[in-house]
Amino acid sequence: MQEDIINIKNEALSQIIEAKSNEELEEIRVIYLGRQGRLNKLTKEIKSLGKDEKKKAGFLINESKNTILRLLATQRNKLQVSAREWFDPTIPGIKPRRGHLHLVTQAIEEIKSVFEKIGFVRVRYPEVDWDFFAFESLNMPKDHPARDEWETFFVGTTAHPKYGQVVLTPHTSNGQVREMYRVKNPPIRMINITKCYRRQSDVSHVPMFHQFEGLVVDENISIVHLKGTLDYFARNFFGKERKTRLRPFHFQFTEPSFEIDITCGLCNGQGCKLCKAGWLELGGAGMVHPNVLKAGGIDPKKYTGFAFGWGVERVMMMKSGLEIPDIRLLYSSDLRFLKQF
Amino acid sequence: MDILIPDSWLREFLKTKAKPTQIGKHLSLSGPSVERINKTQYGPVYSIEVTTNRVDSVSVYGIAREAAVILSRFGIKASLQSIKPINLAFSKQVKYLDVEVDHKLCSRFTAVLVKNVTIKSSPLWMKERLMEVGVRPLNNVIDISNYIMHEIGQPVHTFDYDKIMGHKMFLRQSQKGENLTTLDGKIHTLLGGDIVIEDGEKRLIDLAGIMGAENSAVDAGTKNVLLFVQTYNPVNIRRTSMSLAQRTEAAVLFEKGLDPELVTIGISRGIELFTKLTEGKTEKKILDLYPNRYKIKKLEVDINFITKRLGVALSKSEISKMLTALGFETMWKANMLTASIPSWRANDIDIPEDIVEEVGRIYGYHNLPSELMTGPLPQPLSDSPFNFEVKVKRFLKGVGGIEVYTSSLTSKDASNSNAALKLKNPLGPETEFLRMSLTPSLIEAASQNSGEKEPFHLFEMANIYIPRKGNLPDEQMYLAGIFSNYSYREAKGIVESLLEELNVNYLQEPEDSQHFVPSKRLLIKSGKDEIGQFGVLENGKIYYEFDVEKLRKVATEIDSYKPLPKYPAQIEDITLNFPAKTKVGEVISFVSRISYLISNIELTGIYKDAYTFRIWYQDPTKTLTDKEVEGDRNKLLKNLKDKFGAILKN
Repeated sequence: MQEDIINIKNEALSQIIEAKSNEELEEIRVIYLGRQGRLNKLTKEIKSLGKDEKKKAGFLINESKNTILRLLATQRNKLQVSAREWFDPTIPGIKPRRGHLHLVTQAIEEIKSVFEKIGFVRVRYPEVDWDFFAFESLNMPKDHPARDEWETFFVGTTAHPKYGQVVLTPHTSNGQVREMYRVKNPPIRMINITKCYRRQSDVSHVPMFHQFEGLVVDENISIVHLKGTLDYFARNFFGKERKTRLRPFHFQFTEPSFEIDITCGLCNGQGCKLCKAGWLELGGAGMVHPNVLKAGGIDPKKYTGFAFGWGVERVMMMKSGLEIPDIRLLYSSDLRFLKQF
Repeated sequence: MDILIPDSWLREFLKTKAKPTQIGKHLSLSGPSVERINKTQYGPVYSIEVTTNRVDSVSVYGIAREAAVILSRFGIKASLQSIKPINLAFSKQVKYLDVEVDHKLCSRFTAVLVKNVTIKSSPLWMKERLMEVGVRPLNNVIDISNYIMHEIGQPVHTFDYDKIMGHKMFLRQSQKGENLTTLDGKIHTLLGGDIVIEDGEKRLIDLAGIMGAENSAVDAGTKNVLLFVQTYNPVNIRRTSMSLAQRTEAAVLFEKGLDPELVTIGISRGIELFTKLTEGKTEKKILDLYPNRYKIKKLEVDINFITKRLGVALSKSEISKMLTALGFETMWKANMLTASIPSWRANDIDIPEDIVEEVGRIYGYHNLPSELMTGPLPQPLSDSPFNFEVKVKRFLKGVGGIEVYTSSLTSKDASNSNAALKLKNPLGPETEFLRMSLTPSLIEAASQNSGEKEPFHLFEMANIYIPRKGNLPDEQMYLAGIFSNYSYREAKGIVESLLEELNVNYLQEPEDSQHFVPSKRLLIKSGKDEIGQFGVLENGKIYYEFDVEKLRKVATEIDSYKPLPKYPAQIEDITLNFPAKTKVGEVISFVSRISYLISNIELTGIYKDAYTFRIWYQDPTKTLTDKEVEGDRNKLLKNLKDKFGAILKN
């Protein structure tokens, strides 16, 4: 009996190895393992054996069935693979030409979207403007020493009898009084993003750059709201773990005025080479000076407000941790630079 | 203004056990900003930024005064050691000097004669401190002036008394064209309106508040010194200092408006130090011309005003305590505070908001809560361009465009017009004009990448500046792009698909123009409006530009809905031969007008002079039969043959 079993098994295995197709394998399976197959026939004969014999034969039949099944599966896979077409899925793809938005555009879009979520309206005021909007209406009369802070370009056209000389605006603050003129009745929540110009050019300054100016005017606006808004911006733009702080400062067009710092992203406020004891300067801000509200036709007894004006390039570099050794590179057209972003 | 304050000098006036780092940190949060603490061989030196309104803090003593208040608020024991003036005998007249002063230019004039001084080197302690604040020690007389200026923020001048002819001084405004040589050897021709001092022989002996004249300077042989401490009109000082580019430390202080009361301390310290370091003998009587003494300035502020701006309510006693520490005197009548302003703050405390700032910073801005504003939202802009602009940029990025930002300031050639606005004070000839076109900028941008072999497409969206008489220039937003190593049809396809993306109905008209190869430029129009141009530049690159506002006006956000065709189109390809110099664009626009059944036509291939078109025949009301299509095809072929000489290729 045992010999019969082993013979049947060997016969089956040699047939399987020689099989050329799935159909053939199926036939072999039916012949040996089918309900009426040869191994099942033997199973029926076991009954007539003695106790010990019965046990050994049963064990052998099961083991043979398993061996045949395994070989059938292996052979089936082998046949399938060789039937497939050769293909290399690891070959590199053909890429479409990839375009790039300039870093400044990317930063402006992000800044805009943070402020739009809290109800700010984006505007854009002139790059070439009257002295009145760039200085005079901002509580900086002619010859005021505070004007020294801005290295201003003057345009060689005739001055306006009321608005004075034509300048390239050295900051986005020229939008403050213009926005008050436009809106007339608060609430105002403005974000003015545009090009500015200053007469300076070195590794950390470019004559043409961008700023974003926030202006909020309404009843009962306090320093608490200025803190809240700038915190909101810092957490959304730089990351929710970042903190801001206010330090006293002075600008002619805000009172009180502040310098805003943010915790350094590199050391998480612990203090490192990049920062000052854990803090980085973000930019200036303050409560709108009553003279500026007056210049904009808004009653400073009824309304208060705050404003801030920061550099787009500066916040972008601070956010990304980009260490661009010369900021003028941002305004080159070198593809090797532009394609990195 | 950045100043240097040595820690050891500071502690002469600031009594505290606080460490330098603590002083630095707390000062920055509530007062002047400590930028760095430098370690020097003599000890730590603070580098401090003082804002221009706080000239009272531009000195060792001024910083000590702030620090004493601020450290106490942070719970660190600190007090100010005030400078008490010595007994001084001020007089409106003295025997040793005859003066005439225009008090519009000089609100307080003091001087005292010190006789028989010994000019020598200063003691080591003084030299070290001067070096720590970046001043080179010279001799005791000059060092004393510098020392006092850094200690209390009051410039002090010294004359060689024997060089003041007739011992007479006339302080007046200069006349235009007068000459004066300052002690640094520079010869100045004055513009008029400068504060000058004339002596008994009508010589100018001082460019007052800025720098002494060479002819009255103390030198090694000086015996008698006139010690000279004044308060000058800040406006005159600033004008002179700026126009003569003579930015001395004294001028920078005077132009911010100094406290005339500080003169008392200045002259007192001067007498002390001269006695101690020069062995000179000071005259008893000090000349002091001070017709309008400081009258205590008062400011009224309602407590609700403070609460509304800070955003938190502080008690009257808290407010009073903080202001008193800063040298104010306070008095309350119900909710109204009357604050008496100390003389050294008279110039910068002017309006109630200034009191809010003092209270806020000493209370600590970090102690204020942080909240977003409530209240109604503003109206959105009725016609905002920003979404459109970014949509265009993103589309161009999607089709491989690389955005550049080039300078609005260009050379004369690159401004593209003789009318371009010119700067009065440019950085150089390359950035002297406001550009009137983006074309030269983009040509330049492309040529920066002349080594690049792969095709590239650069684009920019920026303003150009069109001058307007008597007005600001018209800032027009333009989109421009340049293609390198692109075929004409590839480049044009990108521009066409942009216009399709924006749902613009447009026409193209060949028309020659500046910068372009003749007959290789198209004017792009929408209706009668010229909205842009496209073509091949003289340098072989392909260029396009659009007036963004015009483009936005003719673009439609969503194309209107057209019902889906109920019946299928019959589509076929036909290949035609055209005579040389046929414009295929014209053929295509002609075809679409032949029959309403031809719903679409596209060029699918070109081989030599054979053009293959794919044509869609469609009737919205029924399925077209082969016969109907044939009729239309024949009509089409006949028309094309008649108009263009086209021959069907088999």
